[in-house]
Amino acid sequence: MAANATPSNLPEGTPAVAAVSGGKTQGRIVWEQFRKHHVALIGLVVLALMYLAAAFAGFLAPYGMNEYRRTPVAAFMPPTTIHWTDPETGRLTRPFVYVYTSDRDPVTRQRVYVEDTEGPRYPIEFLVRRPERPYRILGLWQSDLRLFGVAEPARVFLWGTNSLGKDLFSRVLYGGQVSLTIGVLAVWVSLILGLTFGVIAGFYGGLIDDFFMRLIEVIDAIPGLFLLIVLATLLKDPRNPLAQLFGLQMTSAQTFLMVVMVLGFVGWGGLARTIRSLVLGLREMDYAQAAKALGASEARVMFRHLLPGTASYVMVILTLAIPGFILTEVGLSFLGLGPSELDSASWGLLLRDATARGVSIQFVPWLLIPGIPIFLAVLCWNLVGDGLRDAFDPKKRR
Amino acid sequence: MLPFVVRRFFHLIPTFLGATLLAFLISQLVPGDFVTQRALEPNVRQETIDRMRAQFGLDQPVLVQYVRWMTSLVQGDLGMSFASNQPVMNVIRRPIQNSLYLVVFATVLLWLMAIPLGVFSAVRQYTMGDQVVSAVSYFGLAIPNFFFAQVLVLSIFLFRGFTRETFGISQLVFPVAGMTSNGWEGFTRWHQFWDIMWHMIIPGFVVATGSIAGFTRVLRGQMIEYLGSDFIRTARAKGLGSRSVTYKHALRPAIIPFIAGIGALLPSLIGGAGLVEIVMAWPGITPRLLDAITRQDIYVVLGFLVISSLLLMIGNLISDLLLAVADPRIRFS
Repeated sequence: MAANATPSNLPEGTPAVAAVSGGKTQGRIVWEQFRKHHVALIGLVVLALMYLAAAFAGFLAPYGMNEYRRTPVAAFMPPTTIHWTDPETGRLTRPFVYVYTSDRDPVTRQRVYVEDTEGPRYPIEFLVRRPERPYRILGLWQSDLRLFGVAEPARVFLWGTNSLGKDLFSRVLYGGQVSLTIGVLAVWVSLILGLTFGVIAGFYGGLIDDFFMRLIEVIDAIPGLFLLIVLATLLKDPRNPLAQLFGLQMTSAQTFLMVVMVLGFVGWGGLARTIRSLVLGLREMDYAQAAKALGASEARVMFRHLLPGTASYVMVILTLAIPGFILTEVGLSFLGLGPSELDSASWGLLLRDATARGVSIQFVPWLLIPGIPIFLAVLCWNLVGDGLRDAFDPKKRR
Repeated sequence: MLPFVVRRFFHLIPTFLGATLLAFLISQLVPGDFVTQRALEPNVRQETIDRMRAQFGLDQPVLVQYVRWMTSLVQGDLGMSFASNQPVMNVIRRPIQNSLYLVVFATVLLWLMAIPLGVFSAVRQYTMGDQVVSAVSYFGLAIPNFFFAQVLVLSIFLFRGFTRETFGISQLVFPVAGMTSNGWEGFTRWHQFWDIMWHMIIPGFVVATGSIAGFTRVLRGQMIEYLGSDFIRTARAKGLGSRSVTYKHALRPAIIPFIAGIGALLPSLIGGAGLVEIVMAWPGITPRLLDAITRQDIYVVLGFLVISSLLLMIGNLISDLLLAVADPRIRFS
């Protein structure tokens, strides 16, 4: 705090004005402020870990996203118990698992799984190769090395399985690739729309301004969720004009992009409005007038002089908008309107399994686990956004 | 005041027209229509198809369809539902009503909880209680409401010990699905009302959670700002009690943005309620909308969009008026 005001690396006799800002760039100041915000910093670290886990999902997950076997049956299997101690001596040992056998509960007719403690123990192996199940990291590097696994016929399901016996732990990791990225990409779409139209509306004013503001009001007049539902359903239909443009069946990447576009389209209004009011103020500033007087073109004034003035504000809004988009994507997937089951496993889609017909949640509580990473991601983005807002705010300098 | 109301009201008309046009255009994105699905059935003759098309006006160009639909809309007629063969209004009335119950309940809950929590946090700034409220509101903002609903349903099942006795049968503390109990039709009026309220507690609370958290945080910030301002010091200096200072002097101006927020609240509540309706099997708008979309029952879909956007605009109008009542600066700008 005090150290900030009197940096030691300044030469003697530097004017007082420079000493106040310490000759630092704004980015530097903001980062220093942000670093003092411990909660936000924790949020940033957790987010970094989550994104890394999603990127290296193939390595961390013991199984493939859609990998399952019909026999022996593994549907709705509870999380596998990992034994750390030797049952005979009670001493610590290499972690191991038993094979599970399935049975029916005589009263409720529910399927129950029992550990076969008489059978052999299967130690958890680290850094195993599974050449039959290669994966790609970030779509670039192919590998078949997995962090951990057990030898067949034993299987390790850290967070249990779904109705088909797919490993939930692996699916949550792969799901992050969808749920964590769609929000960020959609923010960019709405940023581009919002910035362009916001700057144009604010700069020209008059009729153009009126037009864009009315357009935003019209889009806002339909409840967002319903607009999203309708757009997503209709665009997912293989007969829609966009799909036909791409070829009959939309591939997973196209559905993914479609969801990004739809989210961005529904969400740009608020951003455009804010940018517009900022630009309205900046337009009258001396430097904007000076640029105009020097003969700069309108586009140059708009995008070279006015736009950067909104940068800090936009950064904060964007960070705080991402969690909203994540929640919306998860909600859409929960309704079955996001990227489809086979291509990916958005966290919303995983939660959908828990409310599927014929599933009683009290018997399969582990199906709710995918909600936890959603909660964490949204929480951390909120924390980081709040920290960033405080860091940009000169009144809150510490 | 009156000119303001009138001006504001006429402002709505172009927006409403625009919203209906947008909704209609979106509904036309799919080349097939309701009848196309019928045409795939093997024992349907071509004449039947053509007759159905003509009957529903689907053989006309899009523009004609829009004008027709719009003309009847102005007369209060939303068209016919293809799938159930009755006026759209009959199909969508109940779901909209049910969703509104939920939204109104959530709004009341929101005000009942957010105001005391916000005031409490602001008055006891940086105390343990304030920090707890802050932490909980972060939690409320981050949890997806459908997931929260699922978790609550699970915990209701897990705490099966807490059951209540009605008519000698033990039931779960709160119902986990639907809006009414079995045999609801036969209940007395009063009993019917309580039954719905009882079903509404969990979904209503879940729908309100996010907004309660957001409101509490903003109200806290506002209150802290006003409590530090000069007129509060003056009020204290002239010897007013702390209750009067807090509620009469600080809370009143602090609450203004929330009155403005009612309008913006409606869409988020209606939308937010949608996913909870799915989890809790609440017979509201969203389940019916999804159903109508998969059946390409376009006029039902449009009906939902139009009525919900109308409600939304009325909500906005009401909050503008309330705001004008509360804050004289707005009336005269």
